[in-house]
Amino acid sequence: MNIIDENPRIREQNTKIENESEESSDNPSSDSRREFIKASTVASVALAMPAIITSDFASAQSGGPVKIGHLEDLSGNLAVYGLQKDHAAQLAVAEINAGLTLKGGPIGSGGVGVFGSTATQPPLMGTGSGDLNYLDDGGDRSNETVAYVEDDEILVESGDDGILGRPVELLNLDGQSNNNIWQQLTRKLIQGDKVDCLVAGFTSAEREAIRPIVDQFNQLYIYTNQYEGGVADANTFCTGAICEQQVIPVVDYMVKKFGPRIYTIAADYNFGQLTAAWTKATAPLVGGEIIEEEFVPLEVSNFSTSIARIQAAKPDWIFTLLVGSNQSNYYPQAAAAGLEYPMASTVNMAQGYEHRRFSTPSLNRMHNCVNYIEEIPTKRNRDFVKRWYEMFPDDPYIGQMAQNTYFSVHLYAKAARLAGTTEQEAVKRALETGMTIEAPEGAVFMEPATHHAGHCIRLAVADENHHVSFLREWPMITPWWLQRMGVNLVGKKEYKQYIPDEDPYFTMFSN
Amino acid sequence: MNLLKLFLGPRDLGQTKASGLVIAAFVLFLFALPALISDYEAMNFAYFLANVPLGLSMALIWGYCGVLSFGQVAFFGIAGYFYGMVAGNMVGIPGSEIIGVFTAVGMSVFVSAILAYFLFFARVENWIIPVITLVFTLLLETFLAQTAGYQWRVGTVLLGGYNGMTGIPSMRFFSGDPLYGYSFYYYALGFVTILFVGLRLFINSKYGLVVVAMREDLQRTELLGYDVRVWQFGVFLLAAALASFSGILYVQWGNYITPTQLGLVAAAQPVIWAAIGGRSSLFAVFVATVLMTWFAFTLSTQGNQLSLVFIGAATVVAIMLFKDGVVVSIWKKVSALIGADRKT
Amino acid sequence: MDLVPLLVSLLYQGLTIAAFLILCSIGLMIILGMMNIINLAHGEIMMIGAYVSTILVSSGLPFFATLPVCFIVGCLTGYLIEQLFIRHLYDRLLSALVVTWGLGLILAQGTLLIFGPFMPSIEIPFGSIQYGDFTFSVYQIFLVAVAFGTLLGLHILFHKTPIGLKTRATMQLPEVARTIGIDQHLMYSLTFSFGSGLAAFAGGVLAPTTTIAPFMGTQFVAPAFITVVVGGAHNIITGTLYSATALTAVKTPVGMFLGAFAGTVGLFVAALILIRLCPNGLSSIKVFRTR
Repeated sequence: MNIIDENPRIREQNTKIENESEESSDNPSSDSRREFIKASTVASVALAMPAIITSDFASAQSGGPVKIGHLEDLSGNLAVYGLQKDHAAQLAVAEINAGLTLKGGPIGSGGVGVFGSTATQPPLMGTGSGDLNYLDDGGDRSNETVAYVEDDEILVESGDDGILGRPVELLNLDGQSNNNIWQQLTRKLIQGDKVDCLVAGFTSAEREAIRPIVDQFNQLYIYTNQYEGGVADANTFCTGAICEQQVIPVVDYMVKKFGPRIYTIAADYNFGQLTAAWTKATAPLVGGEIIEEEFVPLEVSNFSTSIARIQAAKPDWIFTLLVGSNQSNYYPQAAAAGLEYPMASTVNMAQGYEHRRFSTPSLNRMHNCVNYIEEIPTKRNRDFVKRWYEMFPDDPYIGQMAQNTYFSVHLYAKAARLAGTTEQEAVKRALETGMTIEAPEGAVFMEPATHHAGHCIRLAVADENHHVSFLREWPMITPWWLQRMGVNLVGKKEYKQYIPDEDPYFTMFSN
Repeated sequence: MNLLKLFLGPRDLGQTKASGLVIAAFVLFLFALPALISDYEAMNFAYFLANVPLGLSMALIWGYCGVLSFGQVAFFGIAGYFYGMVAGNMVGIPGSEIIGVFTAVGMSVFVSAILAYFLFFARVENWIIPVITLVFTLLLETFLAQTAGYQWRVGTVLLGGYNGMTGIPSMRFFSGDPLYGYSFYYYALGFVTILFVGLRLFINSKYGLVVVAMREDLQRTELLGYDVRVWQFGVFLLAAALASFSGILYVQWGNYITPTQLGLVAAAQPVIWAAIGGRSSLFAVFVATVLMTWFAFTLSTQGNQLSLVFIGAATVVAIMLFKDGVVVSIWKKVSALIGADRKT
Repeated sequence: MDLVPLLVSLLYQGLTIAAFLILCSIGLMIILGMMNIINLAHGEIMMIGAYVSTILVSSGLPFFATLPVCFIVGCLTGYLIEQLFIRHLYDRLLSALVVTWGLGLILAQGTLLIFGPFMPSIEIPFGSIQYGDFTFSVYQIFLVAVAFGTLLGLHILFHKTPIGLKTRATMQLPEVARTIGIDQHLMYSLTFSFGSGLAAFAGGVLAPTTTIAPFMGTQFVAPAFITVVVGGAHNIITGTLYSATALTAVKTPVGMFLGAFAGTVGLFVAALILIRLCPNGLSSIKVFRTR
């Protein structure tokens, strides 16, 4: 709060806004939250329009608060991840209630991050042989570029108080890492609390547990986790990264950099098996080959046999798709056994922050294509990280799925404002307009046909001191596999999860 | 009248007509409950009820027969999966759900027979059974968790691996509507009441006496001329059947089952219910199962990180303070105060 | 691939897996064998050991100096649990099982609340050595030595010392032991503390190879139970030793050539078959018996 004392103009602004926010939102907010709201309004003071207009707008609107149901595991084995997501939702709701929003909206023609080839020179008329009809096209179309801009400031005034003048209430429940309780709580949120939007789910098992209930009541549901892909559900919007965004870029890079021989070691359940199938099917496209695939049951925690198998196979690099705290044991054990192969993954570091937890150099040369990781150096992300730790100073790390939850809640708010109502079918239509939102990772595009998000993907790598650096950046990879499967949720409603076995291309590679 | 006498027999709480009325009042209260709650709350309460046969199976095998089994959730799971496979492949055929129920129970009992053969005909020491049933349960969980993908397909139904089997048909009778809310609540309650009354009649009969005798002293029972191996085998199968009814009710309730239902955490649940209620009373376990599942649910709606600590602490306190289980102890206290019940 | 390095690698894998099983199960085995109590908080006591060593290492103590502290903290925890809870449950041993389950839940979730979701792990001491295509972790070889050393130490303790004699007497015939003046309650207290101490020590010594998280204990529970079941409770030392050896002999080759899932299933199936062949555990077989 030092800034406030230094600059009287800001203090004036700040108190004004603070009063407004106290008048307009009557839900009890803790001291720390209020302090946070102050801080964030200060941060955006350059853009601060007086909030008086919006408060008039607020009083014009009636009806209770907008209810966002948020269900994650706050206790039990999966609380590690659930707590982060819970904090992310709290942060986003606090910002929405403070009259702030992330930039973005429906996109125009061309879309975000359009790739195009550019000529070496601008095209010129009439330069050849005196013929005015002749067009010099500027030379070979060699440079692949992307029409892409990134703003530094993404948190701006929404011109709204909460959502459509109504305060946002976050109903955050605890799934206790127990699928039965997940189902009951989903029924409670949908039927009992009648939430306007449900944001929930860490594991795919949890998502599949509640999806039948979601579909029974046509509840608007946002699943924010990175996962194996394939959910085509008219009521579900998946904002996490999926295989085509994470597997292909990293396999491509690894094959070119380290060589074609890949050893896949994966968790023996849906996520591991399906992601391994993706690897197997896409490796030949970039010149790689899977020399061996090993699936490890989730409860295995001693990896001496797997390590010996890897040494016997002599791969160029290892694709590790290990999940959960038991399987994380692989990394220190492999390092102690002197296993020094380069590694790639889609889950580690960004989700369970293994590079912060394990002693160096267990994760040396670990490569991962992430849509978010706390270390992203852009200004917008540094600001986000700062806001986060101001509100939750004791948190250990901000994971990929926490950022997804954060922008997803803001995305819901934007869609509801676009729809002009919180009526769920209308908000779903609004989410299907091709919206983008400027998230801390970069621009995120909600792809209407598949209800999945196009992400800014970065290839992150850890060095022997577990410092993260970024090797490559793909500003927008859109989800395409479900489109390939003929899914168009705008035109035809479906409620299923596709798996690679249904795609003839993948079955060419299955055993 | 004979049946009533049998119902008020010596091996459960409530042995006089007056105290039998308390049990009747409890069941009647459950039947009247939907008048007080909404459709979806009825569905939540149906979940609490769906667990009751699992709790009763633990009371039977542990409380009455003296054999602690961590495998009840395995039979719960086998039945749930088989119901999903059978009913899921026959969607739209009238009566397919009922065929599914019977196949599921049959398969579950069949598997339990194989396991029981290993356990009881080998005459293993008593402490081995809880551990070996736990190992069996974990093995089944490990197997089911890796069944993602098309090769694990039965007809049109995918086993679904760790994410579980989805789209399991709800219960319906022939061409009626699928049961949901109030109607499912009454279906589950009816199911549970029949099982409870039937089991109570069984345990109070002369067969029940043999079961209890085996708990008290296996050798003496054998010397009385009973083949205890066969008797333990039979009781184990009956308990497996009870647990599988829970599994079926559960998948009909949630349309979904995952291998986690057979995990370490799930395996301990029925043991906890039975221990807290008072394992040698069917009625006490009935009440404890409903109360404990309700307690866990209520805590989780608070969004409080302490919920698992509360559940653990409640378990410890209940066991330490109430030697015979909370429900049994309270029942005895109250009936001693008003002098309503004979001494058990 | 040369045959000799492969065989050496198989031997190394076998020994490390056996060491893992022994370390996981020894504390559980002592409490079960002596007191007939299935301690479901076993994994959480191992977790406490791992936390103690992690916290001490991060505050500057050398790793090996933390191991005795793990043992002592484990003993104290076990003593407290025994005095406060188990002591009152000797006449109903299965209730003790439920109480330890509840305590385990409180310990794990309590740790989550106090220390947060993860702790930074300890660096694995020593390096690795290479032979043929394979490299071996020196620390894993050290663990093998620790596991078998622990068994040897227990053997000496139980068979060569007066307190060991009293312990075995209490274990085999508690009533007779009481009549000749052995304080049974004291023996039980000591056993529970000692078993917990060993569990915490095992947790501490395994800590560098694992994730340090509140619910880490669950990973040790299933292997520990299987080892204990196959071993039987007739003789703690030989039971653990032979059971770990037999299970490893199945799991290592199956896992090496067919993959980890087959290895795990092989472990379970071997346990089931061994139970059918000798229902009271390997330690009950006459040939194996050292008494």
